[in-house]
Amino acid sequence: MIRALLAVLVALPGYHYEFPRDHFSHPDFQTEWWYYTGNLKAADGHRYGFELTFFRQAIDRATPRASAWDVDDAWLAHLALSDIDGHRFQHWERLNRSGPGLAGASQELARVWNGNWKVQWNGSKQELQAVTDRFTLRLTFESQKPPVIHGVNGVSQKSAGRGNASHYISFTRLITAGTLEENGRTVALSGTSWMDHEFFTHQLADNQTGWDWLSLQFNDNTELMLFRLRHKDGSIDPYSAGTFINARGAGVHLTSKDFALTPGGRKYGPYPIEWRVQVPSLGIDVRATTRLDEQEMTSYWEGAIELTGTRTGAGYLEMTGYRGPFQIQP
Amino acid sequence: MPLLRLENITKDYAGDGEPVRALNAVSLDVEAGEFVALMGKSGCGKSTLLNLAGAMDFPTSGRVLLDGEDTSSLGDAGLTRLRREKVGFVFQSFQLLNTLTVLENVALPLLLSGRRDAGAALEKLRLVGLEDYGARYPHQLSGGQMQRAGIARALVHEPRLLLADEPTGNLDTATGEAVLEVLSRVAKERGAAILMATHSLESAAITDRVVRMRDGRIEGIDRH
Amino acid sequence: MIPRLRVFHQLVLRPMLREPARTALTVFAVALGVGVVLAIDLAGTAAAGSFHSSMDALAGDADLEVTATGGVPDRVAGILATLPYDLDVRPRIEDFATVVASGRTVPLIGVDLLKGGLDRKYGSLTVADQFQSHDRKGVVWIAAGMGAKKGDRIALVVGERVGEYTVAGMLDGDAILMDIATASRDLGRGDRIDTILVKTPAQPGAEEWARRLQSALPPGVEVRPQGSRTSENRRMLAAFRWNLRVLSYIALVVGAFLIYNTISVSVVRRRPEIGITRALGASRAGVLLVFLAEAAVFGAAGAVAGIALGRAMAVGSVRLISSTVESLYVSSQPAAIEITGASVLLAFTIALVVTVLAALSPALEASRVSPVEAMSRGQREYVAQVHKGRDLMIAAILGAAAALAWHGPPIEGKPIFGYAAAVLLIGCSAFAIPALVSGLSIVSSRLLRALLGVEALLASRSLAASLRRTSVLVGALSTAIAMMTAVGIMVGSFRETVLIWMDNQLKADLYLRPGGRTSADRHPTLDPGLPAQIAALSGVVAVDPFRAYETSYQGLPATFGSGNISVALRFGRARFLSGRNAEDVLPELRGQDAAIVSEPFANKHRVRRGDRIVLPLGDRKVAFRVADVYYDYANERGYVIVDRATMLKYLPDPAASNVAVYLRPGASANTVRGEIERIAAGRKILILSNSNLKADAIKVFDRTFAITYALEAVAVVVAVMGIAGALLALVIDRRREFGLLRFLGASTAQIRKLILVEAGLLGLLANVAGLALGLVLSLLLVFVINKQSFGWTIQFHWPVAVLAGALTVVYAATVLAGLYPARIATRLNPIEVVHEE
Repeated sequence: MIRALLAVLVALPGYHYEFPRDHFSHPDFQTEWWYYTGNLKAADGHRYGFELTFFRQAIDRATPRASAWDVDDAWLAHLALSDIDGHRFQHWERLNRSGPGLAGASQELARVWNGNWKVQWNGSKQELQAVTDRFTLRLTFESQKPPVIHGVNGVSQKSAGRGNASHYISFTRLITAGTLEENGRTVALSGTSWMDHEFFTHQLADNQTGWDWLSLQFNDNTELMLFRLRHKDGSIDPYSAGTFINARGAGVHLTSKDFALTPGGRKYGPYPIEWRVQVPSLGIDVRATTRLDEQEMTSYWEGAIELTGTRTGAGYLEMTGYRGPFQIQP
Repeated sequence: MPLLRLENITKDYAGDGEPVRALNAVSLDVEAGEFVALMGKSGCGKSTLLNLAGAMDFPTSGRVLLDGEDTSSLGDAGLTRLRREKVGFVFQSFQLLNTLTVLENVALPLLLSGRRDAGAALEKLRLVGLEDYGARYPHQLSGGQMQRAGIARALVHEPRLLLADEPTGNLDTATGEAVLEVLSRVAKERGAAILMATHSLESAAITDRVVRMRDGRIEGIDRH
Repeated sequence: MIPRLRVFHQLVLRPMLREPARTALTVFAVALGVGVVLAIDLAGTAAAGSFHSSMDALAGDADLEVTATGGVPDRVAGILATLPYDLDVRPRIEDFATVVASGRTVPLIGVDLLKGGLDRKYGSLTVADQFQSHDRKGVVWIAAGMGAKKGDRIALVVGERVGEYTVAGMLDGDAILMDIATASRDLGRGDRIDTILVKTPAQPGAEEWARRLQSALPPGVEVRPQGSRTSENRRMLAAFRWNLRVLSYIALVVGAFLIYNTISVSVVRRRPEIGITRALGASRAGVLLVFLAEAAVFGAAGAVAGIALGRAMAVGSVRLISSTVESLYVSSQPAAIEITGASVLLAFTIALVVTVLAALSPALEASRVSPVEAMSRGQREYVAQVHKGRDLMIAAILGAAAALAWHGPPIEGKPIFGYAAAVLLIGCSAFAIPALVSGLSIVSSRLLRALLGVEALLASRSLAASLRRTSVLVGALSTAIAMMTAVGIMVGSFRETVLIWMDNQLKADLYLRPGGRTSADRHPTLDPGLPAQIAALSGVVAVDPFRAYETSYQGLPATFGSGNISVALRFGRARFLSGRNAEDVLPELRGQDAAIVSEPFANKHRVRRGDRIVLPLGDRKVAFRVADVYYDYANERGYVIVDRATMLKYLPDPAASNVAVYLRPGASANTVRGEIERIAAGRKILILSNSNLKADAIKVFDRTFAITYALEAVAVVVAVMGIAGALLALVIDRRREFGLLRFLGASTAQIRKLILVEAGLLGLLANVAGLALGLVLSLLLVFVINKQSFGWTIQFHWPVAVLAGALTVVYAATVLAGLYPARIATRLNPIEVVHEE
């Protein structure tokens, strides 16, 4: 595994977080991603979901650079627009090298971008722009809560062993407003988004095949993040974990013993697209369902969901590894 | 020894399949100064006989002796030499070269044999009464004048033997007679023999001997 | 129709078949003419198509191209990629690589293989294998036929170095593809790339997109519709190809003379038959058509043979043409020679048009034969009517028109009037030739008769008598000789001018440049540290690093270069159009936005001393004052030269394209060369001594004009073949005369001599007329056509030895062309041909 040699750092407990520095690139870690998801509505109540993800994968740290074109990092990005009421799911993928400004995550520029998909920091606001051949999406995010650092002691452990963990930061409640330009029409949108930023240097453990991840934003101004790591034999990894964020923005770490994630009967291909989420200690017992089954990206399913039960709200569901072992690399 | 001796001449031409026999066992002597007419219909072998006599061709069998020389013993160069020295030709359609003046036409045999004797050509023209026409071109002459020029040309190198193939064939009777008279006279004066092919009795009448031919053979010889 | 067919058969086909040798000669002459035109067309297209294909290799369906003098700063790719438009941005590095094993040089294209791009199409090439792994350096995709297959290692000369590459997959196209990072690293491109191709959405149109992108980019960077460079190059090449094409038509013109002659002969010979046919009811139009059909038969047969011939000759010429294109204009990679429907059509069209036009006059003459002629007895020689007086008048008018056209200006850079003058002059000479022939043959018949005897008399008389036929032959051969002479003088003058110029210009003792293939538009650079290292050597007194960049001015490619003014002042001997000295001109460049431009540049763009020219450099557009125009014969693209310091101000890359090294007096060139080789060890660097460089340059020059010579040679061959054919006809027509001469005591040797003397006379007349015409045409070529097409000032110079040699060869060939007809004549049986009934 040459890759493991490329990056010099692994995620270890006690990492000292510093913002805004830690919102941007960590080239000493092998893999890094920035996830933006959200549930939006037009003025007429038409519902949309969106996902914009920037992935960074370290490729080469050994060869001295001869030009900007040398592939030190590969940048992959995914963009999806779920037109929930229009019953249409569109998604795009792009791959770039850092190149002479083709892609990156720069504190200096206060920007995370891949071509003309970008999130630009402007003070405390983040401005998203995503251009495709069909539409241009422009959103402005304003966080209601400070960033949450998941896990214990700054580390979100994914399997046993030193460094088999990530540094994982989230903005769990981003008040969102913006526009969708499509076919010469501009639709004003508003809603709530979620941002994940994770960087690490490890692979899934050998017996891990993938994960199920949920971000839940309840109408009572609390949020819940849960992930469940699945084994090849169908059992659940004890390193599965989560975080509950209360209305004031404080996070509570949840271990696999604290919650139950139960797939329902409804499926899209191999993906269970209906879940029961139970956190007995918090009195949470909700059903997560989707109005748009077809929200599968190239190698995973990620889509907007609705929550009913002891609390109501909306969120995003991501499921990987259902069509063969999941690889992060592009 | 006669000037021209044909000994049992046979001449075949390659035809389609069977060879065509143009001359068949022809023997004929022509003495110096003699005027001999060959008479017969077209295709009886007159022209072939003239060509053999003029060292233009070899017989298939038999011998042609011209002034004692056997033509079959000579190569192309030898034949050419023989013609240059001994033979003059007169043609039915005159065969003057349009690009040359009358004088040049007359001088041509001399020139071809590498001799340069302008006086000789002029003298021959005078002989045929064309001394004033030397600078003209053949197409400026009448038929009779052309044939007289032809005769002058045939004589310019003082040949021993004159071969004439229907020399009056393209001329009207009066002109023909005049031309024939010139031919006969100048040949006599120079002691040259004439062998003339003709099918005109009038023409034949002024010769010393008439050789009648038919189908490649000599049918008979009439002496005048 | 049937009767006409029968007439055609009787009057045309049968006689043709009866004389197979002559028919074959005529057909072959037409075929050669057609073949040459086709070959030049095919080879020109292949050679010119080549730069097109190398530039457009893997270009795909882009709409815009982004370029900049000195290369596009790579950050421009970042700017474009992040614009809020749905653009496909394709940065490219374009160069050439040489396959070590075969020595073949092919386009090398570096593209971003990572971007979005698994299994994507690059133009006509499909990357069969995916760029799966991102750390695969030294990986190339190659085309089949480069001698390696997937998984093999292949050695390539890339930039200064030889490298081993792994073949990751095959392309269907003649290029080598690698990732842009590999290309940039191995070519040492730093932070510049060659171009960025951009695919834009359909709306609101390419022009608006170009404007939008331009406004987002630095002003020195140009956004233009894709293919602009290609069309610029094509425009630049247009004059060159045009001139070549014109030259290729010479052989055809000569061929036309011969068709005219052939048809004339067949008309003359068949007058009685034509008369009979007419008496039997054939119409005039029918007879006309029959003879035009005869020409068409020759034309069609010539076209068929010409296509095969042209294909074969194109193979030979394409290398020559593309090496010319490369050394004078632009990188080029010969494309395949393709016979298309269009080229077949071209062959047939030119063959039929030329032959039918050439036959028109004799065919009209045939149609005017009256039925009475059939009845006229005897075998009256037909005397061609020649109106010498009228012809001389026409010649005078054509000459006057030529003199007018001589002074006409170029049209779109093409010397249209110049060529018109050439055509008029050829026409003038064609009409003057009958008078010349008749005049000379009168004079010569006496003289020659004295020298060569009776055969000469007969020969010159016969030539004068068949004046029209003779004139046509002399016309054909003299035209060919004239063109040969003219081009010979032009090229000779040019060569001499270049030699003198090189002696003035090239004063350094050693020259360095990167190894590998060179061409006029590629400026690979040397290691930036090299000049200083060389300057430090004890035997070296000065070095002059020259840097060249590809740029374009007013829609035409040009070269932007810089040198060290101080060194140039110390050693250089540049000559200027104004007549001023280098000492006066060059200091004006120092520290100024001032430039000197080469003569072809000045001519092309009508730039004069004192004008301002604006060039896009780096991020900016810079206006330079033209300090003067200098004589330059290095290439036709045109140079703009500034001081090195001025260039570095705008394009800070210090690397040199080549370096001139001046040695201390008494220093050994070989020692210094050895020291430089040690400094540059491991790099592909070419070190040329002064004399090497000059010899190389003159080699390029000679190669450039080899094709020209080849074209002339073909024209001469056609003409000589025509002479042979015509003499053959002459023999057949005059067989009675030859027979008669035999009766009158001519030997076969005399007959042979007669014909050879006629051939010799024809050759002599043609040489005299050709030399005279050629001299006039050479003046036209040197001072009008060349100047207007290429913008070079050429000093007139007589290449005496070359001319004398060529004319002797032509003359000998003409006489030799008489051998075969002479042989035929001596074999005629005089008895048969004089046979009278």
